[in-house]
Amino acid sequence: MITAEQKPLDEIREMIAPYKRILVLGCGSCVAECAAGGEKETGMLASILRMAAKMEGREVLINEKTLERQCVKDFVILLDDIIQDYDALLSLGCGAGVQAVGDCFPEIPIIPALNTEFLGETKDQGLWLENCLGCGDCKLYHFGGICPLARCSKHLLNGPCGGSVGGKCEINPEIPCAWQLIIDRVEQQGGFERLEGIFPPKDWSKKQGLGPRRIIREDQQR
Amino acid sequence: MGSAHMNDRERLTVAFFYCRNIPESGETERQALEKEYGPSIRLFPIPCSGRLDPVHLLSALEKFADAAYLIACPEGACRYFEGNRRAGKRVERTKEMIAMIGLEPERLGMVINTKKRPKGLGVITAEILERVKSLAPSPVLKNSRVEEEKPL
Repeated sequence: MITAEQKPLDEIREMIAPYKRILVLGCGSCVAECAAGGEKETGMLASILRMAAKMEGREVLINEKTLERQCVKDFVILLDDIIQDYDALLSLGCGAGVQAVGDCFPEIPIIPALNTEFLGETKDQGLWLENCLGCGDCKLYHFGGICPLARCSKHLLNGPCGGSVGGKCEINPEIPCAWQLIIDRVEQQGGFERLEGIFPPKDWSKKQGLGPRRIIREDQQR
Repeated sequence: MGSAHMNDRERLTVAFFYCRNIPESGETERQALEKEYGPSIRLFPIPCSGRLDPVHLLSALEKFADAAYLIACPEGACRYFEGNRRAGKRVERTKEMIAMIGLEPERLGMVINTKKRPKGLGVITAEILERVKSLAPSPVLKNSRVEEEKPL
């Protein structure tokens, strides 16, 4: 899941200040799961912006709508019938959603209300953890299902580093040492020999080597 | 009794969200309170204080209320174990949000019922009305009030 957090309210208010008719646009997928941009959060932000405008005596139209997904055109086109009523879109989608909506309606400024953070797991209610970098070459099998690139502060493929204390990371003692987790897990699974080899430096070309990545699946295309 | 209260509070409208498990909070009591206080109060029963969402409080402040309060069961006495504890966090977060636009956080609040001899809804409502009476009318509603007061 893609995680995000709402931008500071002052920053949002500054960006929307030039506009008089604003659609606050939520997204019902990842950012709803991480309580940043779903229907509830969209309603809250729209409400607080309307109140702020009223207190300042400014006449601004601020409406709200939440799409199932902002990053899929099939859902974005649901705005076709109402988009002409607005002079700006305030999106609570992730960066991908903001851009997808912006591509569909290039004539209207689109403003991000969220800061997109990371690929994460909902560990507990109100707790999201970064555990995947989207590197394009998954090696989780070798590390007992725990990614050292995402979860080790030093991104070590050949750990541990020696700074782990009591199972905690020396960079940030509030997080567990990823390599402690890896070793415990692999030991539990009886595959310790998987860690005995030396892993070569990570080949990052599959993540960033050729510019923005794309996936093409002809069997899924029209 | 109702008219005596009204003089103090006729300029304010307060929204009350309350857990249905609060004593004396049935439909009969709700209707009696609405009759007593008139438009000064709006009562919203909810199955548990944990059902409250920040958007409920914000919506009340935006549309009609000068203040909005949640009335919850005592700590450790929530029928759903932790509804009141969660609600408390949401109320605090919502207070922070309204403070960001310059609205006094005191316009929102949560009152937790007493554990020994829990009070009835009417008593708590009166206590909250007393607490908020020093608030000025909400700046969010000032223009809509002017509209309402315009002669036809």
